[in-house]
Amino acid sequence: MELVNKTGSSETNKKNIWAVQSGKGGVGKTFVTSSLALTLSKLQYSVLVIDLDLSGANIHTALGLNPSHLNLRHYLEGQKDISQIIIPTSYPKLSYIQGIWDSWLPFNFNEFDEQKFFTDLRALDFDYILIDFGVGSFEKYFNLYLECDEKILVSSPEPTSIEKNYRFIESYICQNLKSKSTPEAFAKLISTLREFRHKTLDKPFSFKTYLKENEGLTLEPFNKLNREPIKLILNGIRSHSVSDLGYSIKSVCNKYYGLHIEYVGFLEFDNSVWQSIKNREPVLISQPFTPVAGQFLNICKNLTEPENLRAVV
Amino acid sequence: MKSNFYEILELTTNAAQHEITTAYERAKTTYSGDNPAIYTIFSDQEARELLSMIEEAYSILGNKTLRNIYDQRLLGHSKINAEDLTYDSILNASRLIFQDSKVDTKKASFVRNEELEKEIADCSNWNGDMLKKIREYKNVTLEKLSDTIKVNSFYIKAIEAMTPNNLPAPVFVRGYVIQMAKELGLNGKAVADSYMKNYSKAN
Repeated sequence: MELVNKTGSSETNKKNIWAVQSGKGGVGKTFVTSSLALTLSKLQYSVLVIDLDLSGANIHTALGLNPSHLNLRHYLEGQKDISQIIIPTSYPKLSYIQGIWDSWLPFNFNEFDEQKFFTDLRALDFDYILIDFGVGSFEKYFNLYLECDEKILVSSPEPTSIEKNYRFIESYICQNLKSKSTPEAFAKLISTLREFRHKTLDKPFSFKTYLKENEGLTLEPFNKLNREPIKLILNGIRSHSVSDLGYSIKSVCNKYYGLHIEYVGFLEFDNSVWQSIKNREPVLISQPFTPVAGQFLNICKNLTEPENLRAVV
Repeated sequence: MKSNFYEILELTTNAAQHEITTAYERAKTTYSGDNPAIYTIFSDQEARELLSMIEEAYSILGNKTLRNIYDQRLLGHSKINAEDLTYDSILNASRLIFQDSKVDTKKASFVRNEELEKEIADCSNWNGDMLKKIREYKNVTLEKLSDTIKVNSFYIKAIEAMTPNNLPAPVFVRGYVIQMAKELGLNGKAVADSYMKNYSKAN
């Protein structure tokens, strides 16, 4: 009985909106989001998945569901309440909100009221709300991303993906700084960065030192990022030695950006994944004992109850 | 300010020794070779510089003694200069703690006594008294002899007094005598042969 109460949604759990993002497309964001949601629901949490991918929402496919007529557009255009567009699934404790599925008319994000969206989300009765962000249109929902409690970054071990993730982190830091700094100081930062990129700077550049040494820039967004670190997941690992890449990325972020990120786990390449997607069934349902399922469980435990894992040395 | 060795390895100061090794191994794979994680962030030159910093940090933190000295300086209450935290200064400090106990390798000087030299040259019957006489003549103390030939001074005393009760089996005694004789500038084999005859008679 105690257990049921613990996971009950009446408890005001602050850390419950998770954003899943990546610098590059095709690294498995949707797969990771849907599988995290399924794993959390198996752990007896009530979960809502929201598809915010503007380039064509398809989390329903990853969940093995048919696209619904009701979608986010109805809410964004004011026709429905957020609770009216939540679609229950056949999996216990798991619901989802269909993304904008009809791309005939692009939604104008300037009219989007992030504050209202978040107030509405927080009012919902779920333990965890997972948001699948699309790539490429980061500026459009930057404020939304900032609001999320847990920021999950998915990367594949390929240089292309890692490189794009660095660009993502950079743009994230800069966007963050832009709103809190004086325009002159920010312009100076950008020009220094440009010099650095063109290798005309005489000493190695470090974000943290630069922010400390220069006037008009505030360290606060930076410190906030360090207090609430981005969580990194590596997807599609084909050999165990590659899984250490996560620690390498962590170290580079620390040394170059002065930014603390957390490496919460890796997912091995698993043939059962593409086989299941081909059959339009979530792999965690069709093959619940595949290694990837255990790795998802690990990641979820790492994210929901980190103190339980750290006790082991 | 320069980052300290813990910051370089991205550790807290209370990290366990095995965590330091793991951190070092990870850092090493990150900044050597073409790890995709440093691509577009650090140039080859910068990676090499980082790697040398990492090596330096690990050579201090990976060694318990050096880490101890470093910790005392880093975490001590008194204000510490940056120079006292460098690799070289830590290494120097450790040398001061572990000074090699210097072995006095000089041969002891003695006043040449022609009469005695002649006696030694002619001697064919060796016993403990003779060995002791020569040792004292050549100004070699018991401790010095024990130190150089690595034989307990207790045994050397017993060999000189020819008291078998205080000595191990004869085969070992013979070895000690050869060592002593050589150290005193005598013919080891001849001395030992003669000494052992007297030694077995004394039993």
